[in-house]
Amino acid sequence: MGCRHLEEVYELFLLGALSEQGSLDLRDHLARGCPRCLVRIREATESVYLLSLFSKPARPNRRVKAELLRRLHKK
Amino acid sequence: MNEELPAKELLARVGRHDLAALSELYDRLAPRVFGLITHILAFRDEAEEILQEVFLRLWRESKSLDHESISVAAWLIVTSREAALERLRTQHSSRLRPDTPREGGTDGNPRSAKPLVAAPFSSRAASKPPDPRTRAGRLGPVGPAIAKATVRIPPAWLPRPGEIELIGERLDLLHKTIEQLSKSQRQALELAVFGGLSEEEIAAELGEPLGKVRTGLRAAVTFVKHRRRAILGTWAADI
Ligand SMILES: [Zn+2]
Repeated sequence: MGCRHLEEVYELFLLGALSEQGSLDLRDHLARGCPRCLVRIREATESVYLLSLFSKPARPNRRVKAELLRRLHKK
Repeated sequence: MNEELPAKELLARVGRHDLAALSELYDRLAPRVFGLITHILAFRDEAEEILQEVFLRLWRESKSLDHESISVAAWLIVTSREAALERLRTQHSSRLRPDTPREGGTDGNPRSAKPLVAAPFSSRAASKPPDPRTRAGRLGPVGPAIAKATVRIPPAWLPRPGEIELIGERLDLLHKTIEQLSKSQRQALELAVFGGLSEEEIAAELGEPLGKVRTGLRAAVTFVKHRRRAILGTWAADI
C-alpha cells in the first residue's frame, strides 16, 4: 500500500498536532494493520519521548512521595 | 533495594504490588516526569497532583504492562504528558494566565504557584529570554486547545526497555538538534509538544499562515527524527 506520504506525520499524529481528518485517515490506515506504518509509529513514539525529555527535570517536594506512599499503603 | 536493579525488573515487582519497587522507580524517574508536567502546567500544586495520579495509575496498571516489552520510563513520560495536557484542557476556560499571581499551592507556599520553567526549545537555543507567547499561548484563558482530546498512545507502541537507554545518555547531544531549527520551528514544536496544540491552532497562536506552520513543523520533526537516528545509530530498515 502506498503510504510513504505518511512518513512525516507519525510524530505529529502522536503529539495530537495533526488535523482531525489527518488523524482519522492515519488511524484507519493503522487499523488495517499496515506493517510498515506500525514499525514507523513505534519509532515515532521514541521521538515523542525524546521531545518530552527536553523539559528541564524538576525535583518534587518530598511531601509528594510521602503522600503517594501513604495512599498506596492504604490500598 | 538494590541500586542496580533494572527498571524493567522494578516494573515487574510493582506489578506484584511491591511498594519498595515503586518507591525506587519514583526516586529514579520522578524528576524527569515532574519536569515535564511542570512545563505543561504552570502551577506546582497541579503538577504535584498529576505526578501522584500518574504513579497511582502505574500501580493500578502495572500488572497489565509487560515489563519485557514496555519501557516504564517511556510509559511514565507519555502518560504524564497525556495527563497534564488533559488537565490543561479541562481547566482551560477557567484558569488564570500563568503570569497572573495566584493564591499559593496546596502546600500554602506562594512560591509553588509560580510558573516554573522556561520554554526549553526557545530558551536553550536562544541567548535572549524565552518568548512568553509560547507559554501564554498554551495557557491563555480562551483558546481552541480545549476542543480536542489528547491522543492516547497504546502501550504496544511504546519502546521496549533498552531501546531508549541511549536517549538518556546522549540527551545533550540530541538537544543540540533543536538549536539547529529556526525560531518559528522551535516555537511551533514547543506548542505541539508542551501545549498539545494542533497545526491549525499553532498557526493561529503564532499568527502565521497554516501552510508555513505545517511545512515548518513537519520539516522540524523529520529533522529531529533523522538526527536521532544518526546520533543513536538506529536507522530503521526502509521497508
Ligand atoms: Zn502504511
